[in-house]
Amino acid sequence: MSGVAMDEARPGWARRAAGRLLSLPIAYYGTAALLLFAAAARPNLLQPFLLLLILRQAAPLGVAVIGQSLCIRLLSLDLSFGGVALAVSYILTSGFLPFPEPVLIAICLLFGVAIGAINAFFITRLRASSVIVTLAMVLILSGVVTAFSQLRAPGDSPEMLRYIGQTRLGMLPITVIVWVVALIPMALFLRLSVFGRYVDAIGANPRAALTSGVPYVRAIYVAHIFSSLFAVLSAFLLVGFVGFGSLSIGADLALNSLAAVILGGVGFGSGKGGVLGPAVAAFMLMFTFNLLTSIGLGEPGKQMAQGAVVALAAIAYAARGQERAH
Amino acid sequence: MMGRSARRFGRSGLGYVAIGLPLAMFALLAAFAPEFLSLQNIVNVNNQITALLIVALGQLLVALIGGIDISVGSVVSLTSVVIVSVNPALAVPAALALGVVVGLANGLGVSFGVHPLIMTLSSMTFLQGLALLWLAGSGGTVPAPLVFAAKTSAFGLPAAFYWCVAAIAAASVLLYFTRFGLRIFAIGGNAQSAGLSGVRAFWPSLACYVLCSLAGVVAGIYLTGRIVSGDPTMGAPFSLDSVTAIALGGVQLSGGVGSVAGAVLGTITLGLITNGMNLLGVSPFFSAALTGVLLLGAISLQRRKVIGI
Repeated sequence: MSGVAMDEARPGWARRAAGRLLSLPIAYYGTAALLLFAAAARPNLLQPFLLLLILRQAAPLGVAVIGQSLCIRLLSLDLSFGGVALAVSYILTSGFLPFPEPVLIAICLLFGVAIGAINAFFITRLRASSVIVTLAMVLILSGVVTAFSQLRAPGDSPEMLRYIGQTRLGMLPITVIVWVVALIPMALFLRLSVFGRYVDAIGANPRAALTSGVPYVRAIYVAHIFSSLFAVLSAFLLVGFVGFGSLSIGADLALNSLAAVILGGVGFGSGKGGVLGPAVAAFMLMFTFNLLTSIGLGEPGKQMAQGAVVALAAIAYAARGQERAH
Repeated sequence: MMGRSARRFGRSGLGYVAIGLPLAMFALLAAFAPEFLSLQNIVNVNNQITALLIVALGQLLVALIGGIDISVGSVVSLTSVVIVSVNPALAVPAALALGVVVGLANGLGVSFGVHPLIMTLSSMTFLQGLALLWLAGSGGTVPAPLVFAAKTSAFGLPAAFYWCVAAIAAASVLLYFTRFGLRIFAIGGNAQSAGLSGVRAFWPSLACYVLCSLAGVVAGIYLTGRIVSGDPTMGAPFSLDSVTAIALGGVQLSGGVGSVAGAVLGTITLGLITNGMNLLGVSPFFSAALTGVLLLGAISLQRRKVIGI
């Protein structure tokens, strides 16, 4: 008799394990499923050489995702990556600013801080919707850069960035190393620092965090500045990888990063979320795009996949949220 | 949270900015661009803003219930692709059916608990991909009746004028002379109170998303007829432009406050800016940037309670 009561009070180990497995980020299952599918249908894609190539493609996205996931955990969103990447590519490659490479790189970093701070200002002080603010920022940046590039077209990437984007250390591309080097300190920082606790608290319940004196506004400033800085870093990798500046660079960075963050198990307002899930999701997305290309669905198929992934993942998390609420 | 001007002008949201901005733009352009007041240019402005006006009126409906639809630009593009791709006799019904499906998908997703921006952002991307998959570049033949409907003139007035009048009339009747209109304002003002008073949010919200997508379809039909060609990226600017237009017109994106007149005034403001920059010889890319600045300005005037998305 008492045993039955115990069972009701504490679910059995099987159910607990199942619950834990179910709460894992969708990206883990997605990646596993994709790899299995590829093993059956397109075994060529699983050669180590190609996997490393896909990993290198995923690195710029993976770096951008770090910033995006920070914003999303704070119930904000940064869709300005495309505009930031475009502007960074222009600053670095057009020769518009006649400075040596390290100075240009420093200017880009300052530019990232400025854009992040402006975004955060509109979002926190004027309480405008973060989506609208950052999309308007894309309109402004891409409009200005496109207008300027009629006067001066983008040229070759700086030597230093091309080296980082195109060289490998042994097997590993340097780009991937940069990704990991950006990822680990950020993960530690979010786990160990007071700021990380603030992020958890605000994400879990913004109103409670605000009333208990968590510096909400300052946290959002920090998140958006970090987010724009990671976008700048991601643009560095892209510009170095491509080898020259372009007006289409990083155009789908924002949406891909949103998809990766959602797939990676970081939910709006759940306060949950690690750094590994979104990173795996970034790889998963790039793998999907390569798979789509190998099936013959190019750019349009990519966009449809992006849209479908964001919608399905968002609906799935909304469903989980409703289950929890009941 | 209503601003002071919103309280003064009631739930129409019309304030000094919404009314003053187009007047100021008009005066400035009349003073600095001599050809601005020519009949041909006024007709041009009317032609240029018609599609945006139709989309903005659809966006207004969604904004009134506190939602937002940024997929509407892709709907415009996809409509254009459908018009030139399917059997001419079925083109318009097929496009309208498409609008209903997209609207239902958006509306159902939102009522399921997905944030409207995320839901419509994803459908925007999906539909843009679909349009490009279907038709890689601009081209195709547009059915003659549609070209006629978009380009003819009657009683000395161009077709664009009649499209505008019809769209404004339809939106006004819907909002001000039906129960549906009252319900929208009630739900947008406070969904919980509306629910307690027996007005359930589900069906009217769903209808708003469907109507907004249908507005995108109508704008797409008009635009395809005007440029006499299908174009899979034609509608891309409309998503944010329509939000900018209604925000400039005093429509509160948090819902419950807004008016057809506001959407019209906001659209005219944007149209005058684009036209003015053309006349003054400014790069069109700068006018896109200026739209961004205006969007930032307009939504900064609307203080919300929440911080974030």
